[in-house]
Amino acid sequence: MNTSSNTAAVASAKRAVDPSKCLVELRNIKKAFGGVHAVDDVSLNLYPGEVVAVLGHNGAGKSTLMKMLAGAYPIDSGDVVISGEKVHVRTPADAQNLGIESIYQTLALADNLDSVANLFLGRELLTKWRTLDDHRMDAEARKVFHRLNKNFTNVRIPVRRLSGGQRQVVAISRAIYFNAQILIMDEPTAALGPEETAMVGNLIQQLKAEGVGIFLISHDMHDVFALSDRLSVMKNGKLVGTYRTQDVTEDEVLGMIILGKQPTGKTQTERPAR
Amino acid sequence: MDTMMQSIKRAQVDWRMVLMSGVLVVIALVFNILSDGIFLSAENLYNIAQQTAVVGILATIMVLIIVTRHIDLSVGSVLGFVGVLIAYLMYTENWSWQAASLAGLAAAIAAAVYQGALVAFVGVPAFVVTLGGLMSFRGAAYLVADGKTQPLSDPFFLKLGGGFNGGIGTQASWIIGAVLCVGLIVSMVAKRRAKKAYGVPTNSALVDTVIVLIPIAIVLAFVAVMNAYQIPNKPEPQGIPIPVLIWGAVALVISFLVHKTRFGRYIFAMGGNPDAAALVGIPVRKVTILLFLLLAVLTTIAAIVAISRLNAGTNSLGNNLELLVIAATVIGGTALAGGSGTIIGSVLGALIMQSIDSGMLLLDISIGTRYIIIGQVLIAAVVFDVAYRKWTGDVL
Repeated sequence: MNTSSNTAAVASAKRAVDPSKCLVELRNIKKAFGGVHAVDDVSLNLYPGEVVAVLGHNGAGKSTLMKMLAGAYPIDSGDVVISGEKVHVRTPADAQNLGIESIYQTLALADNLDSVANLFLGRELLTKWRTLDDHRMDAEARKVFHRLNKNFTNVRIPVRRLSGGQRQVVAISRAIYFNAQILIMDEPTAALGPEETAMVGNLIQQLKAEGVGIFLISHDMHDVFALSDRLSVMKNGKLVGTYRTQDVTEDEVLGMIILGKQPTGKTQTERPAR
Repeated sequence: MDTMMQSIKRAQVDWRMVLMSGVLVVIALVFNILSDGIFLSAENLYNIAQQTAVVGILATIMVLIIVTRHIDLSVGSVLGFVGVLIAYLMYTENWSWQAASLAGLAAAIAAAVYQGALVAFVGVPAFVVTLGGLMSFRGAAYLVADGKTQPLSDPFFLKLGGGFNGGIGTQASWIIGAVLCVGLIVSMVAKRRAKKAYGVPTNSALVDTVIVLIPIAIVLAFVAVMNAYQIPNKPEPQGIPIPVLIWGAVALVISFLVHKTRFGRYIFAMGGNPDAAALVGIPVRKVTILLFLLLAVLTTIAAIVAISRLNAGTNSLGNNLELLVIAATVIGGTALAGGSGTIIGSVLGALIMQSIDSGMLLLDISIGTRYIIIGQVLIAAVVFDVAYRKWTGDVL
């Protein structure tokens, strides 16, 4: 898949990717809501072309951690390092400028707007008069939707009337159209049928091949073992451990999620297998 | 026939607007029969258009406020406050109308910044903020001139509200009508060209021709009717009343903002899904404040029209106006749940409400009965709205 040819209009040029260089480092991240430590001293990293699954119960802090990286929540303390540079992610716009895109469980779509408007929401293409360039957005949107789903043509009706799969196409298109370097996927297959789940799986493989780093939040063990290179488990806001997916069994992962117990005899790893 | 249906479907006709226009026509015809042809006389239509202007101007912006899931209950009181202030500065302080109007605008902006900041930055529900404003600004309207009526006499200023010298004359009316028609055609041609250039599917030429001819016919008919009305002891027919011209310009500008700018897009996104709007990086607070500032500008314009129509500013100016404005907006198909509403709908809603009221007045129906009926029309409009959304699958 060639994303760059369709996105010549977008300012952010694709950076050269060095697969051995760390793409994202989250260092000692902390976040408290009131007295509750939602995220407590968590460190994670992500390499280009790698999928790191982030696991844990509801309330374990994984979504909060990812929302901080996406600029939706302010970070209390800790550092975010992107491609070796320390950065400040204060707003969703900051994150987008750093090449971080998010696909949320709730899909973050404006239900009353059509697919084209949702794809470009917050980053509309403008004419030289600074008005919305509706027709250019329409044409660009049709191209990117078509790549993900050939049957998706009713792009000008409100997204609330679309199927779960079509809505997911819109949400994912937001990430790929704007050349995400770092992609956060929060339960990307939760609302999808088998065919659409396979589509998301294929897409993840394609993005990996292009060197995109992906954080995958999922409850689905099948997805985790099929798609991820490494997995990190959180419990009560703390990191239980990070392992190569191939090194651990499903039972050991469930033990980490439920009991917070590190599997015996397995070594943690900061790097993907090469 | 099938291809016809297909092209109609693709043309994305707003059936709600078509239906509402039909309702307006039926109302007019029924009242016309009941009143022995008085309702559809040029004089009556001229008066209805002129009387609707203040509510109509405010309804255009109320659409956007309600779309973002807010409400403004203070709009009538702020209008009263600003109106009395302008009249007071002109009558008691001898200011020019320009200076007085600018001072009124400054006061409206101060009120909007205060209320808007409470909503956008402190997070107080707009219902509460503007309910307080409803009372406080009514009080302020009283304090400005100590409750005394402030009469107006500036001849130019009085034209802004319509009335005896408030028409722009036949020639200017035809010129404005012609400009609008040319504008409609040019924008349709440009739209078709742009769609072709980007390979976006276009309507058939026939469908687009019909789509552009209908508003042209309405514009020309409107101009013809306004030009047909002549006040008995005047040598010239009236032409388009200035307040209606102001209303039309306001509706065009707001429609432009809605369809062609990021501001309009963000307003609808915030109403459709506030969480999503924040997550994709829309500056929600800034947009909210801008919306209140726009409201301040339009409230000032409406206040100027209102006092010049009345030839005076009084502390009761705009009493209960907020109810009429919200009713017009709701009758025009704006959903109180947010995220959905149109400017043209607010225009139709205001016209429907004023037509029913004027029609009943012509038939000598008592004020009590009129209030009862208008209230039930509002409910009928919302019942229809709920049914229509269920039918189209656009359940909010």
